[in-house]
Amino acid sequence: MLTEEYRTHVKYSSRRLFLSLPLYIFFFTALFTYSLDILTGDLRLADLMLMAYGGIYIYGLSVGAFGVLGQTYLERRYGKDNFLISMPFLLPVSFRRVFLGMYLRDVIFYSALMLLPAFGGMALGAALSSHSLLSVLAIFLGLLVTFLYGMSTSFLISVLFAIDRRIFLLAVGALIALVAGYGLTGLYGLDLIIPSLGYQLNALPFPADWPSALVYLAVCAALSVLFLGLSLFLVRPGRSIAAGRHREMFLQHLRRFARFPSRTLLAKEFVDIRRSGLIVRMIFAYIVPLVFLSFTTYYVNHGLNIPVGFNAVFYGAMVGFFGVLLYSWMTNTDLNDYYETLPVRVPQVIRVKLMAFFLLTTGVSTIFVIGISMLNNEWQLLWLALVVLYCTTAYMILATAYLTGLNTNSFFFNPTILTKFTAISLLPDLLLTILSFSLQSGAWWALAGILGVCGVLLVMSLYFHRGIERKWGGASFL
Amino acid sequence: MISRMPAIVVEGLTKKYGEFVALDQASFTVDEGAFFGCFGPNGAGKSTLLKILTGQIPATSGTAEVLGLDPTRNVVEVKRRIGIVPEVESPPSYLTASEFLRFAGTLHEVQSIDGKIERWLTFFDLQGAEGTLCRDLSKGMRQKVMLAAAFIHEPKLLFLDEPFINLDPIYQRKLRDYLLELREDGRTVFLCSHILDVAQRIVQEMIIMDRGKVVLKDKVSNALVGGEDLETLFLRLVGGGNGLAP
Repeated sequence: MLTEEYRTHVKYSSRRLFLSLPLYIFFFTALFTYSLDILTGDLRLADLMLMAYGGIYIYGLSVGAFGVLGQTYLERRYGKDNFLISMPFLLPVSFRRVFLGMYLRDVIFYSALMLLPAFGGMALGAALSSHSLLSVLAIFLGLLVTFLYGMSTSFLISVLFAIDRRIFLLAVGALIALVAGYGLTGLYGLDLIIPSLGYQLNALPFPADWPSALVYLAVCAALSVLFLGLSLFLVRPGRSIAAGRHREMFLQHLRRFARFPSRTLLAKEFVDIRRSGLIVRMIFAYIVPLVFLSFTTYYVNHGLNIPVGFNAVFYGAMVGFFGVLLYSWMTNTDLNDYYETLPVRVPQVIRVKLMAFFLLTTGVSTIFVIGISMLNNEWQLLWLALVVLYCTTAYMILATAYLTGLNTNSFFFNPTILTKFTAISLLPDLLLTILSFSLQSGAWWALAGILGVCGVLLVMSLYFHRGIERKWGGASFL
Repeated sequence: MISRMPAIVVEGLTKKYGEFVALDQASFTVDEGAFFGCFGPNGAGKSTLLKILTGQIPATSGTAEVLGLDPTRNVVEVKRRIGIVPEVESPPSYLTASEFLRFAGTLHEVQSIDGKIERWLTFFDLQGAEGTLCRDLSKGMRQKVMLAAAFIHEPKLLFLDEPFINLDPIYQRKLRDYLLELREDGRTVFLCSHILDVAQRIVQEMIIMDRGKVVLKDKVSNALVGGEDLETLFLRLVGGGNGLAP
């Protein structure tokens, strides 16, 4: 399985480029750790850890979600690739064993690819600066357990999804309620949702209370094992062939999009989105993080009465960045081979996916920004937040589409693409974050700066949009 | 004598994957209205040739013309005029058979599409699978869907890569009869197949390939002399390496 995973990723770049990804992460985290004090400025260490643990938890959730997309893998077996996920149907191996294998494969593969190089980089950065190596080790341990916890949660929720959609919705609803309850009531801490965060706040580099820290860590590890065990117990040992009847949907969408350009491709895109369950994954990847982010801020601002600078403009920018994961999934719903038999080109399909993305998310993200303005009582910033939202979303998604075409997830393992993507996304993100914080003091130059950045983002979006034809015009769907 | 326009012209076509030469200086012409066969053992370069001719991949060197157009430079124009059944049957997972036919037909700008969808669903007996997503169909059913999608716009030129594979004998026969109708109708068919007994009955001209090279190009009637059948000729030409030469 590891060999397969490795070769799948190598296929999209080259062995040399793929193997340089851990090096890239190593140097990036080393640089980040070394210049931590300058980069974070007024940001509290606790907030930084909250972001790191929240980020790793969401990363674990997404790796787990990809790992259990067995159905797609099986379909690919009938296409051109034969993945080992189909082993239980060909060889005397139990489904549970293969399922466990998938979990271990993802833990080993992604830890080796991302977490270990990040740890090495942090250690180097700490050694070159005044930070303690023991703190780095404590952070790494916590992040590793958080990653496992995220993956186990995702595996369990995916199994529930396969068993019964109602149980699945119940589980996701409970998770959202837990996050919302934390944000709205403040009756419990975030460590109830991510116990390893409790470990971190009681371990180095914070004043250490090791017995408490270890209890939190043990709880998080035990929950990971419990969720994985439950997944293995509940997973259905058989191929899911849900050959149900489906009512006509394509014609209905064809009529709905009658006035749109490329209406045929757009209608098919929406049928894919609805039937592939992408809406559910969208809830996971897009709406849950947004809800998580909003309630956390609300709680910090109103529950703890700590005035943080995260205003509606900051959120407008953040939403643009969340969209990348959703676009990645939209390019990953099905194989594209059959397009080779039709009078269609790759740039056309990319543009249709972009159109579908904007149709799907604009309403949700607009409601979110309006909601956050309402929660924070920042109506005066709403217009600016919406401008920032639309500009960053267009910029990020067009940049992603330009760089990665129809293989977004795979190309993000190509260090050249990843470097370009980091450069493209990090700079405007930093600028907008800093400028949005400065808005609080009513600085006119912050407003001018934000509008200036938005203008540049729009020009760049136009460049990426035009570049799609140039870059992908000769590409094949195979 | 009526001179026919060439539907396909191939000159010194070569495709390399790194050091590996998948197609080596292939040259041949297919006249309009011909039923043309392309045969060869596994790895001979048949599918690579078909992919280049249908604009799916570019050639490393050499030239190809399909209905007077360069398939690499005019991908969409070429695909509008041709029908393709690929090597692997992979219709879109989340559309039903009739939805995929409507999708393909709309992209090909087919008029009176409802009647045509009905015709092909009936022809391949796919009505029973109405409402079933393509991903849940059997391999044979998916092959039928791909065939129907290639036929729905009644193209002048068809590229068929192993069209008989996965079909039961009834539908192999039905498809063969339909292809013969197309031949009578003056349409051009480029067929790659391993099912040589079926191919022998419908193909008029052919090439036999081995390790990327064209080792024979001729009319079937000229090539099969002295009662020799296509399989024997095939084994005589390319079966030696496998100890199967007669």
